[in-house]
Amino acid sequence: MSEIEKYIAPDTVSDAVKALSSGGVTILAGGTDLTPQVDAGRRSHAPTLMNIRRVDDLSGITQNKGETRIGCLTTVSEIKQSDLAPAILRQAADHFASEQIRNAATLGGNICNASPAGDMINPLLVLDASVELASWKEGAMEVRREPISRFFTGPGKTIKHDNELLIAVVFDTPGPDFVGYFRKSGPRPALEISTVSVGIGGDYKDGAFHNVRVAFGAVGPTPLRGKATEAMLEGQALTAEVIDKAARAAQDDATPIDDIRATSWYRTHLIAVFTEELLNNVCQN
Amino acid sequence: MSEQVAFQHIEKTSLIGTRIKKPDAPAKAIGKTRYINDMVLPQMLYGKILHAGRTHAEIVSIDTSEAEKLPGVHLVITAQDTPDLKLGFVKDNAPLKDKVRCERDEVAAVAAESEAIAAEALKLIKVTYKDLPPVYTIEDGLKDGAPVIQDRFPDNKSLSFKFTHGDMAAAEQKSDIILDDVFNVHYVTHCCMGTSCAIADFDHNGKLTIYSQTQYPYNYKMDLAPALGIDPGDIRVIQPPTGGSFGAKLDVYPFEPVAAILAQKTGRPVKILFDREEEFINSPTRQPARMHLRTGCTSDGILTFRAADVMMDNGAYTSWGPTVPVIMMRTVSGHYRVPVVDFKGQAVYTNNAYAGSFRGYGNVQMTYATAQHMDMLAEKLAKDHNLDPIEFRLKNAQKSGEVTPQKSFLRECALAECLTTAAEASDYVNKLNKYTAERAQEGRYKRGIGLASSIHNAGGAKIHKSDGCGTILKMDDYARVTVITGASEIGQGIDAVIAQIVAEELGVPTEHVNLVNNDSDLGPWDVGVHASRTTFIAGNGARRAAIKAKKQILAAASKQANVSADELDLRGGFVVQDKDGAVVTKLDKMLRQMHFQPEPDVVMVSDYYEPNSEPEGRDHISDHSAAYSHAVHIAEVLVDTYTGEVKVEKVTMAQDVGRVINRMGLEAQMEGGLAFGLGFALSEEMIFEEGRLKNPSFRDYKLPTAPDMPDLDIHFIESDCAEGPYGAKGIAELPTIVVAPAIANAVYNATGIRFFNPPMTPEKVARAIWEKKQV
Ligand SMILES: Cc1cc2nc3c(=O)[nH]c(=O)nc-3n(C[C@H](O)[C@H](O)[C@H](O)COP(=O)(O)OP(=O)(O)OC[C@H]3O[C@@H](n4cnc5c(N)ncnc54)[C@H](O)[C@@H]3O)c2cc1C
Repeated sequence: MSEIEKYIAPDTVSDAVKALSSGGVTILAGGTDLTPQVDAGRRSHAPTLMNIRRVDDLSGITQNKGETRIGCLTTVSEIKQSDLAPAILRQAADHFASEQIRNAATLGGNICNASPAGDMINPLLVLDASVELASWKEGAMEVRREPISRFFTGPGKTIKHDNELLIAVVFDTPGPDFVGYFRKSGPRPALEISTVSVGIGGDYKDGAFHNVRVAFGAVGPTPLRGKATEAMLEGQALTAEVIDKAARAAQDDATPIDDIRATSWYRTHLIAVFTEELLNNVCQN
Repeated sequence: MSEQVAFQHIEKTSLIGTRIKKPDAPAKAIGKTRYINDMVLPQMLYGKILHAGRTHAEIVSIDTSEAEKLPGVHLVITAQDTPDLKLGFVKDNAPLKDKVRCERDEVAAVAAESEAIAAEALKLIKVTYKDLPPVYTIEDGLKDGAPVIQDRFPDNKSLSFKFTHGDMAAAEQKSDIILDDVFNVHYVTHCCMGTSCAIADFDHNGKLTIYSQTQYPYNYKMDLAPALGIDPGDIRVIQPPTGGSFGAKLDVYPFEPVAAILAQKTGRPVKILFDREEEFINSPTRQPARMHLRTGCTSDGILTFRAADVMMDNGAYTSWGPTVPVIMMRTVSGHYRVPVVDFKGQAVYTNNAYAGSFRGYGNVQMTYATAQHMDMLAEKLAKDHNLDPIEFRLKNAQKSGEVTPQKSFLRECALAECLTTAAEASDYVNKLNKYTAERAQEGRYKRGIGLASSIHNAGGAKIHKSDGCGTILKMDDYARVTVITGASEIGQGIDAVIAQIVAEELGVPTEHVNLVNNDSDLGPWDVGVHASRTTFIAGNGARRAAIKAKKQILAAASKQANVSADELDLRGGFVVQDKDGAVVTKLDKMLRQMHFQPEPDVVMVSDYYEPNSEPEGRDHISDHSAAYSHAVHIAEVLVDTYTGEVKVEKVTMAQDVGRVINRMGLEAQMEGGLAFGLGFALSEEMIFEEGRLKNPSFRDYKLPTAPDMPDLDIHFIESDCAEGPYGAKGIAELPTIVVAPAIANAVYNATGIRFFNPPMTPEKVARAIWEKKQV
């Protein structure tokens, strides 16, 4: 049994970060990962449970000087409905869980849960986003930025320290030529955890694809970037031949495993199918 | 007021076929219903069961001392505290085990002040096991020298079934086409939204009150008593609202006697409630089956024989699961005219999970095979002999009055009408040909259409000596009716149907009919809610009781008004003249006068309805149901041949319902029943590795969700069943039975690939398509 000794719900970011500095704190955002994991006995609560949902300023999407910033408490529903969220992020939000879960699930929770199948992470990799991590140092709040492509170290593991709060995600607001698509699969149209997800984005101009970024979910211990696929596609015109080669490069990028949800054969198969599908979408855009 | 009504005339109207709201629906929708899961009794303790988590082992020792010491723990029990208590279909099961035979086996149980303490106490119980060689397959179970699972069954063979009819050698000789295939149907489970729960409470006279989700409260006492060592007469069963059953509660399972034993020994009420993971691991499954089916046919499309050899993994104990051949063989021998039949069924003990009854009861499995064979024959006959696929089925479809080799009497048979109605409504033949032609063309997405049909008992199933139901009906001074019926309500809607039937007969609003049916001390006997029987049996009973009450009232009114009783009727809360509806008197006033008059009387009648059917019998030759019915489903699918995803876009359903009673309830049964079949066909599967369940959660056990539901085009065929209430037949299982093979046939039409081993998951479909491309 993991007993919660103390429950706190700070109103400000600095109070929240300060509370973290003394250790022994579990952060509660939407609770849609935390609660089932505790119930299943897969993790236990630290003595203090800190609900961060009352903290002002951690929610919402803003744009400023070419940068988009999404607060950690922004829910998947808010992202789904926002004009400020790039289309690829809205697509991922649209295929996320169910209405009820989307209303509670936060972006910060999805990232910090660090599941290889976390659906919001994939488009953030494509957008080359960074995360902002806040901690309390010598009487003041300190914030560091880390690229999300370096954030994950294993299933449920990240470079974030226990005393750090992920306060926001930031990325360069995509330009007018940016095109991005996300695709996930599972046996059901709703309430499905990805067996595979693929995201592709870049600037598509005059028939050629530039600044290409490709991301895969649920095919390795962390969400990952498809470097070989990106290299294959960079600067190319998306001919049938290039698309076919990219689909095969994608299969080299990812090394999925067998589990009860899918065999590695099927995951590898889907990676090629989705890569091809998304690149066709880019052409038709 | 009485002056005014004297001039009123009330037209004769009927409620039958209208839409009646389920009386408990609003409370369920707003969360007000108190399910058994919510119940708390004063002084109640919480029981929890230690499950073995291994599949075959001797229990060398159990040390409960640490658990007993934990503050808040009242009692810890093991098999040593419950010797010789037996349960199950062949009494091969026990509340707590002295040997482990499967993963779920109940080894010890705790009663404590809270669920958390009980859970903590389980961790403190030390069990030493000595693992035994396990058996996980039918083949291994049948090998010479195989480990013995149940001492009383040294060859590991549990139940077996046999039915033969006609000259097989001659039939084979006559056949121009013989199909020979093996179908493997997987494990699925009920997934009741309300997890399993029992609350047991003994009084000081040693009488047990058990709050239960059971579907058969009266025979339940008989099955529960030996597992407790008490007299069945000392058990009172109360059925609070339950979150679904679907067959899962048609037997006594160990948690129920365990709760009772804990209550008996502690002198306190004890509640056992499963969490979802416990529910997955410790509930019955649908009976899996390996069905070797052979079907013979002439080149002009006349069926010559069917031979089915069904092997079933019995699991470690015998509940209702391995009895399903009783229904399987009715489909083999009776769905379409089958002159020669050879049916064999054998269940084999293993260390796997064990099965109970589940909506469709064997017919979900068997129809998956027979309906695909019919489709394969139809395709061949169309191609080689130019026979229209509907014409082929019509040629073999029985007509009213025919009798099957097992002596099922198809008094009113609407199979042909179901076939033509569904085929026309969906434009079946044209689409079938069009999609077959498109299959060879390039393209990622393929459409397909598939037809399947089956038969099911629709007037109860006399597997016990009686298949009846008792009813007690009384009316009060305000013309309110109370019906005390043996029929259980587990969400299926008998509450609405009985109110409707009684209101129809007695001319009162449906809201003025109260149902009492959740207490075995009050209700008269009934077999239970299963086998699509309740509207048919309890509906007939309620109707007969209401007619008796009506007679009594009209007799009294006739004396008073000096008119012959058959010139009177009850309508809209009044006694009226039958011919013109002229009001004679108010019904409530009449009821009051009945017990104020010189020969006082109250309206209080009873009825026991026994359907006109014959007991199943050992030879399986009997008219075991008072009616039979058919359904045809035509599924239209879109297959993504790259990902293997199958989207069922539309299902056209035509079912012989005899007569529509509550249209809303009937539609809901069609929709809900179909959802079960859809999950079975496409996504639901219990994944076992060495007898252990690998996906005990809704994350990995894929129930269909709302967007999976296809558009439904539902056609009710009304064959007017002579025996059923107002002509109605039982309806609830066919929608689950027929849809999966219709989908399989549609997937074949789209892809050219047959799937004999459901579920047709995206991966399985994608792999098969990919493999076909490689050759
Ligand atoms: C039925 C169901 C369906 C689901 N479907 C999907 C799906 O389709 N796709 C998908 O990706 N996920 C899905 N999930 C998982 C989950 O909903 C998401 O990961 C969600 O985004 C988690 O956010 P949350 O706010 O609920 O996190 P919480 O559960 O509150 O927190 C998750 C973890 O992150 C930590 N944390 C939260 N916020 C911060 C922060 N700001 N800084 C530091 N640490 C933090 C918490 O301590 C905890 O360890 C589903 C879950 C359920 C129950």
